Amino acid sequence: MALIRPRLTEYHGIFLPQAELDFAIPFFEEDIPLYVDPFLLWKSPSYQDKALHNAVLNSFNHLGLLAKKDRTEEAEEQLIIASECEEVGLGLSATRNGLRIGSKQAKDILQLFETVPEYDQRGFTHFEEIQFFVDGISKDRISDFGCTFMKSFLIDFTIDQCEKLGIPLADCTVPHVYDLERRGFVTNQRAKLPINPMRNTPLLLVPRRWLRYSPWINFDEYFSAHCPRDEIVNPDAPPPDRVRVLQYNRENYGVVESYIRAKEKTAADCTNDPLFRQIPVLSARRKLAEIRKLPTGKVGNADKEFENAATQLVASLLYPHLDFADAQSRTDSGVHIRDLVFYNNRSHPFLRDIFDDYGCKQIVMELKNVAELEKGHVDQLNRYMDNEFGKFGVLITRNAMPKPIWRNTIDLWSGQRRCIIALTDEDVAQMVELFESKQRTPLDVLNKKYREFRRSCPS
Amino acid sequence: MITRVRVDELEKITGQLKSIHNELSALMKKAPNDGVNKFKLRYVNMALDRSNSFLGEDYRPFADFQTFDEEELVSNSDASFMIATYLEALEKFRSDNIKQVHGSWFYNLKGDEEVRTAAPAKIKVK
Repeated sequence: MALIRPRLTEYHGIFLPQAELDFAIPFFEEDIPLYVDPFLLWKSPSYQDKALHNAVLNSFNHLGLLAKKDRTEEAEEQLIIASECEEVGLGLSATRNGLRIGSKQAKDILQLFETVPEYDQRGFTHFEEIQFFVDGISKDRISDFGCTFMKSFLIDFTIDQCEKLGIPLADCTVPHVYDLERRGFVTNQRAKLPINPMRNTPLLLVPRRWLRYSPWINFDEYFSAHCPRDEIVNPDAPPPDRVRVLQYNRENYGVVESYIRAKEKTAADCTNDPLFRQIPVLSARRKLAEIRKLPTGKVGNADKEFENAATQLVASLLYPHLDFADAQSRTDSGVHIRDLVFYNNRSHPFLRDIFDDYGCKQIVMELKNVAELEKGHVDQLNRYMDNEFGKFGVLITRNAMPKPIWRNTIDLWSGQRRCIIALTDEDVAQMVELFESKQRTPLDVLNKKYREFRRSCPS
Repeated sequence: MITRVRVDELEKITGQLKSIHNELSALMKKAPNDGVNKFKLRYVNMALDRSNSFLGEDYRPFADFQTFDEEELVSNSDASFMIATYLEALEKFRSDNIKQVHGSWFYNLKGDEEVRTAAPAKIKVK
């Protein structure tokens, strides 16, 4: 069995939490659901980020210059190439296959340099503005344009980070790299980069500080809050559709410009988004109360509600010591089982211990909304504890293990050196208490349970 | 019989443990299951360690307990309970080493030196 939701670092035996790394750890089988926001580079205090933003902007504005000099085809071709950056793996694609824009969309973008006088005269100051004029330009496209024009920097950044961490690099071909001197794309550039073993394609790492769920300059926000509505003259008119707003923007650049100025003024509020966001303390308390109110068993879908609440709660409680990998469903002997899987980052002495003693690269926690654990429940988890999970597992359940089951887990350790511990409602409540007070980490509760278990094992 | 140095040591340890106990009791009332952070636990352990050396095998409350493991989660109520047993042990030691002279209580010191102290805790003062 391979790693669940494999990531670059764990695949190469580097067990560091996401919170400690400067880049977003790429997944092999899916994209990271975040996007590069060029505005974060623009507002960054770092001269390097500002210079990169300028470089991207100059490259983009150069396309307008090409179009002006009747080299529209060349500009169009460059724009199409720049519209997809597969190596960074950002977005919502589950298959990591992105599509480039078509020729029509490229023409529409290039036409902006002619139709909007401000762009004709001074070019773009934030190229994200194309969303306001061209249909079908979304946040992933903005992110891709940015990444492609600064791919050369991203290659250097990736090599630097990989060398620091000891991630192996391999010779590979990057299909298109933008050359700032030639103002064009170099094809089939050879480089040493980490490889996605599932697809045998190069990977590029992206600094976390540039990532957001949606760009700061955002069409949806403009559409809902800034776009003028004709509510006084035609109060009964249907709400404007997207295409009509795009057309309106082309003819009324001032409205877009005032929105951009407003966003620039509030730049201090623009921050990068984390890859995982913990639920607030109040929500944690609510989730705990929700769990405690639930009956055991399956009555009224109590098991599903328990699983959903426990997933959100435990994933948040154990962050940042454990990065949440996935909540997966599986079937064992006809029984539906829901597990939580965490990457073992070895960021705590307890996590290092279970890695060394049980070979636990990923921690599996099985959710059981039962009044009393039975031998069958322990056996189900025990059968699943293999390979990447090692010989360590956790049962998240409602009540303490009955004595015979407890003895059974001790026997498992004595005979096969396998460790199964149970987290009950009381333990989860204590974790929430620690989550709120911050006196210790909620992971310490898991550590305490493990130590209690080990003290009961024969020496 | 007790020496003056031991009396000073006893009073110092008792004072430290009492203030720790007061602090932990207040926290325990608010959140008994909450953990004692590592900073506090370090000083709790230092006070317990000193108490262990002072009390010796005869007076130590539990033979199998020395100090808390700083890596392990210790709740406010656990820590408070343990400190209370040490305070009791120190009081037992003190009661065994004091005497009453003309209605007042003094440490049972060698020689003529006199150090006043309180009555044993188990004797109710009216």
